[in-house]
Amino acid sequence: MALPLVPGRRRNPDRGYPFFLIPAAVLFTAVIAVPFVMNVGLSFTKWQGVGPLHWIGLGNYQRLWHDRTFWAAFEHNVAIVIAMALIPTALGLVVATALFDYIGKRFGPRTASVLRACVYLPQVMPLAVMGVVWGWILAPGDGVLNSALRDIGLGSLGHDWLGDPHTALYTVMAILVWIQLGFPVVVFMAGLQRTDPALNEAAELDGAGWWRRFWHVVVPQIRPEIYVVLLMCTIAALKAFAPIYVLTRGGPGISTDIPSYYSYQNFFEKTQVGYGAAIATVLTLLTLTVTTAFIIVQNRHQDQER
Amino acid sequence: MFLSRSSRRRAVAISAALAAVSLGVAGCGKSTASGSSSKVLKLWHYEAADSAMGVAWNQAIKEFEQKHPGVTVRFEQKTFEQLEKTAPMVLNSSDAPDILEYNKGDATAGLLAKQGLLTDLSGAVAQYGWDKKITGNIAATSRYTNGVMGSGPWYGIPDYGEYGMVYYNKDMFAKYGVKVPTTFAEFTAAMDTFVKAGVTPLASAGAEYPAQQYLYNLALSKADQNWVNQYQIAGKADFKDAAWTGAATTLADWVKKGYIAKDSVSQKATDMGNAFESGKSPMMVSGSWWYGTFESEIKGFAWDTFLWPGNKLVPGSGGNLWVIPKNSKNAALAEDFIDITLQPDIQALLANKGAVPVAANASDITDPKAKELVQNFQTLQASNGLAYYPDWPVPGFYDNLTAATQDLMNGKSPDSVLSGLQSAYNQGLSQ
Amino acid sequence: MATSTADPIDDRPAPRPPAPTGARRRRGGHAVLAGFILLAVFMIAPFAIVVMNAVKSKSDYAAHGPLALPHGIDFGNVKTFWNLVDFGHVLMNSVLISGCVALCAVLLSVLNAFALGIGRVRGRTWILLAFLIANLLPQEGLVYPLYWLAKQTNMYDSKLTVIIVFTVIQSAFGTYLLSSVLSAFPREILEAARMDGAGKWRLLWQVVVPVSRPTLVVLMTFFFIWTWNEFLLPLILLVSNENQTVPVALGVAQGEHIVDVTMQAASGLLGIVPAVVFFLIFQRTLTRGVTVGAVK
Repeated sequence: MALPLVPGRRRNPDRGYPFFLIPAAVLFTAVIAVPFVMNVGLSFTKWQGVGPLHWIGLGNYQRLWHDRTFWAAFEHNVAIVIAMALIPTALGLVVATALFDYIGKRFGPRTASVLRACVYLPQVMPLAVMGVVWGWILAPGDGVLNSALRDIGLGSLGHDWLGDPHTALYTVMAILVWIQLGFPVVVFMAGLQRTDPALNEAAELDGAGWWRRFWHVVVPQIRPEIYVVLLMCTIAALKAFAPIYVLTRGGPGISTDIPSYYSYQNFFEKTQVGYGAAIATVLTLLTLTVTTAFIIVQNRHQDQER
Repeated sequence: MFLSRSSRRRAVAISAALAAVSLGVAGCGKSTASGSSSKVLKLWHYEAADSAMGVAWNQAIKEFEQKHPGVTVRFEQKTFEQLEKTAPMVLNSSDAPDILEYNKGDATAGLLAKQGLLTDLSGAVAQYGWDKKITGNIAATSRYTNGVMGSGPWYGIPDYGEYGMVYYNKDMFAKYGVKVPTTFAEFTAAMDTFVKAGVTPLASAGAEYPAQQYLYNLALSKADQNWVNQYQIAGKADFKDAAWTGAATTLADWVKKGYIAKDSVSQKATDMGNAFESGKSPMMVSGSWWYGTFESEIKGFAWDTFLWPGNKLVPGSGGNLWVIPKNSKNAALAEDFIDITLQPDIQALLANKGAVPVAANASDITDPKAKELVQNFQTLQASNGLAYYPDWPVPGFYDNLTAATQDLMNGKSPDSVLSGLQSAYNQGLSQ
Repeated sequence: MATSTADPIDDRPAPRPPAPTGARRRRGGHAVLAGFILLAVFMIAPFAIVVMNAVKSKSDYAAHGPLALPHGIDFGNVKTFWNLVDFGHVLMNSVLISGCVALCAVLLSVLNAFALGIGRVRGRTWILLAFLIANLLPQEGLVYPLYWLAKQTNMYDSKLTVIIVFTVIQSAFGTYLLSSVLSAFPREILEAARMDGAGKWRLLWQVVVPVSRPTLVVLMTFFFIWTWNEFLLPLILLVSNENQTVPVALGVAQGEHIVDVTMQAASGLLGIVPAVVFFLIFQRTLTRGVTVGAVK
C-alpha cells in the first residue's frame, strides 16, 4: 500500500527546535536555577556566611517589611532607572542615528567609528578607577568642574556635588548617563545596518525632514533593539551596586542608597547573609515582574506588526 | 547558495578555535596545587612591598628560609579587599594558606575563631613567651571568647600597633605664629587663628573613616576606660550620654565654625591625605598608618605630630594579626615564622620604616622621628590609652557611622543622628 | 528588514544625496560634527586624567595633586604594578576567560535564539523569561551558592568555573537580543532555504548566522568587555594568584587605610588598554557591515 504523500506534512518544520535549547537548559540549571533556589532558602535563615544556619522562617521578610532604609533605597532606584535606562536609550537613539545616517554619510564611516569608539570608552573603564577620577573632577574647591565654573564666572554654583544631599543623587545620575550611553549607541548602530536605506531615501525624496524620517522610518525599523536596550538597561539599573559603591557608598547619609547596594552591605559588611539573601530575593522578584510585563508588552507590539 | 567559500573557512576556523580553547581551559582549569612535599610554607599578606610591613616581612621570610634550609616560603601578595571579602570561604576550603595576615576585631578574626577556622595559639604563646611582648590593650584583639575580643584563647599575633594623632605642618604653624597646643582650649584657639587667616585648619573626609575618627576623638575626650569597655566589648553603649552628645554637637559646631570644611563630606581618606601632603591644610587627625607614607613623600615642608590635646584615650589598637588557619598543613613552621617577625631586628626594621613595632628595643631605633612615634605609643600603651576604633562593636557599623557623620556635617540635628546610631547598634548586636 | 534586497553598507563612501542648498547645509553639517567632537572630548576627558596620573611620580602627586600636569614622565608606577602582580600572567588569565566566555556565550545565544526566534517554540516567552533570570539575579545572591557548589564539585579556584558561570550569565542577554532580532527575520528567506531542502542545522549556520553577523560581533564584543570588567565572582571563585584576573589585581593599590593613587591610575591604565584594543579590533568588523557573508 502506497503511503499518501502530502508535501509539507511529511515533516513538521517546527518540530526539533526545542533540541537547540538543551545545552543552555543544562547549564542554566546548574549555574542559575540551583543557586537561585539556594539563595531563596538562605533568605529563611540567620547565617553569618560560615558555621551553622539557623532557620527563622519569614523573620527576614518581616524585618524587611519594616525596614525604612530599604524602602527609601527603592525610591532612589527610580532615579537610577531614569539615568541608566531612559536617558541613555533616548539619547543613544539620536546619537546613533546621527552618527550612522549623517556623520557617516557626510564625513565618512571612519569618522563615525572614531566617534562611536569615544562614546563607548566609558564602558571599559574599571569601576574602581572611575570612582577615583570622578572624585577628582567633582572635588569641592579645586576640582575640575568647580574650577571650570569659576573660570566662566559661575563660581557661585560650585559646591560639594557628591556631598550635598540635594545634589548627590543628580550627580550620580549624570555620571551613570556618561557610563551607560555607549552601550545603546553601539547596539543601535549595529541595528541600523540591518535597516533598508531605500525606505529612508524614499522618505527623503518625499521631502520628509531629518526628524520625521528619524521618528517614522528609522525608529520603527530598529524597534527590537530599542526594546532590548531599554529592558537590559533597566535590569542593570536595578542591580547597579558597583557605581554606588565606588562613588558615594550610598551617602551622604543614605541619600544615594539603592537596594542592590543595601543587599551587598548585608551580605559582606554586616555578614547578615540571610537578610542579604532576602533583599536579593525581593529584588529579583521585583525585577522579574518588571521584565515579564515588559516582554508581554513587547510581544503584543511585535504581533500587531506582523 | 548559502556559504561563500570565505565564510565556510571562517566557520571552520572558529570551531577549531573553540575546540583549542576548551582544551586549553580543561588543561589549566584546576590548579593542581602540588602538595608534593610539606616543605612549602604558603604565606599570604596584603601589605604593599615598599611599606614598613612589606619590607620587614620580606626580611623575615629570608631569615626563616635560612633557619629552615629545606623549606621554601611561597608568598602570595593579596589585596585587602580580597581577604576582607573571601577569607571565611577560603579558610573553610582546602585552598587555605598555612599562615596569613588577617584583620583584627570581632567581625573578622573573632568570627573565624568562633567558627573554628583558626588554630588556637595559646600553646605557642606560652612556649615562645609572646605574651611578654604583646600586653595590655594590644593583646585584646588577639584573644577571643566565643568571638568576642578581650580575653580567652589566643588566635592571632600582631607585629605592630596603630594609634591616632595630630599630624601638623610646622612651616604653616610658624607662618601663622601658632604653637603646638597642649590643652583642648589651646587646640581650638590655634584653629581659630587659622580660620581668621582664611585657612581651614583640619583636613578631613566624610565619605570614609577620617570624619568618624574626629567624632570618636571628641567622644573620648569625655570618656574613660570603662566607657570604652561598655561601648566596645559589653555592647552597652548609650548614644545619648554626655560623651556622644558632646561629640556630635561639637563636630557639627566645628563644621559651622570652619575648623572642618563643610564640603569635605564627599571626600575620601586619600583626599584628606592629599590636602595635608600638598600643604593645603595645617593639621590632619588620623592614624599612624600615614607616617611612613608622609616620611617618604613630603618633601616641601617640615612636619611632626602631637597627641590630641587633653585626651587620655585615643583611637588605636594592635595591628592586623598573623593567624594560622585550622587547615594549615604546617602550623609549627608557621608559628616559628611568627616568632621571627617578633625578633628585635625585624621589629627595628618596622620602626625605622615608619611603623609602630610592638616589641622593639629602643636602642635599635635610629631614626629620631621613629623614636618619638614609638615613645608616644609606649606611653599610651602603658596607660591603657588605646580605645580601638568606633566602627568595631557591630559588623557593618562603619557604614552607619559614615552616614551619621555626613548627616551631622550637613546640618542634621545631633539628637536624631544619635538615635539612628543607637538603633543600628542595637540591631547589629541582636544579630 | 529585507536584508536580501537591502543595499549593503560597506567601506565604499555612500553616494551622497544631492545637497539641496549647498553651502548652508555644509555649514550645518560641520556644526553637527563639532557638536559630536565636543561630546567625544567630554566622554574621554576622564581617561586623559587617568593617563596623566599614571605617569606621575608619587612625590609629584603629593606636592601638586591629581589635576596638575605631570612634571616629567615616570613609568615607575606602571613598572612596579606590573611586577607586583605579575601582570603578564594576570593579563593572560583575563584574555583566556573573557575570550572563552565571548565565544561560548555567543554560541549558546545563537542556539537559544534560533529555537525561540526562528523556531518560535511553544511557551517561548516563558522560556525567555526563565533564561533572563540569569541576568536579573543580583550577583551577590549567587556568591554563597556558587561557592558551595564549586567546592562540592571540586571546581573551586578554577578558571573553568568562572568561564561556565559567565557564559550562562552573558548568554541570557544574547538570547534575548538575538531572539528579538531573529523573530523579525524575513520569512521569505527561511522558506526559500527550506524549499532548497536545508535542514535546521544548515538553516542555522548557512542562513541565520551569516545574516546576523553584525549583531553577533557586537554581542561578542560586549561579552568580552563585560566579562573583562567582572569583579565580584572572580574575586570569590578564584583564590590563588595563579588564576587572578585583571580587575581583582587592580585592588593591590587599595590598602586598608591608604590608597596608592598613582599606582591605582597606572594599574587602571593597564587594565583599560587591552579592553580598548579589543574593542578597536572588532570595531573594524563592525563597520564592514553585513556585506560579508550576506545572502545574495
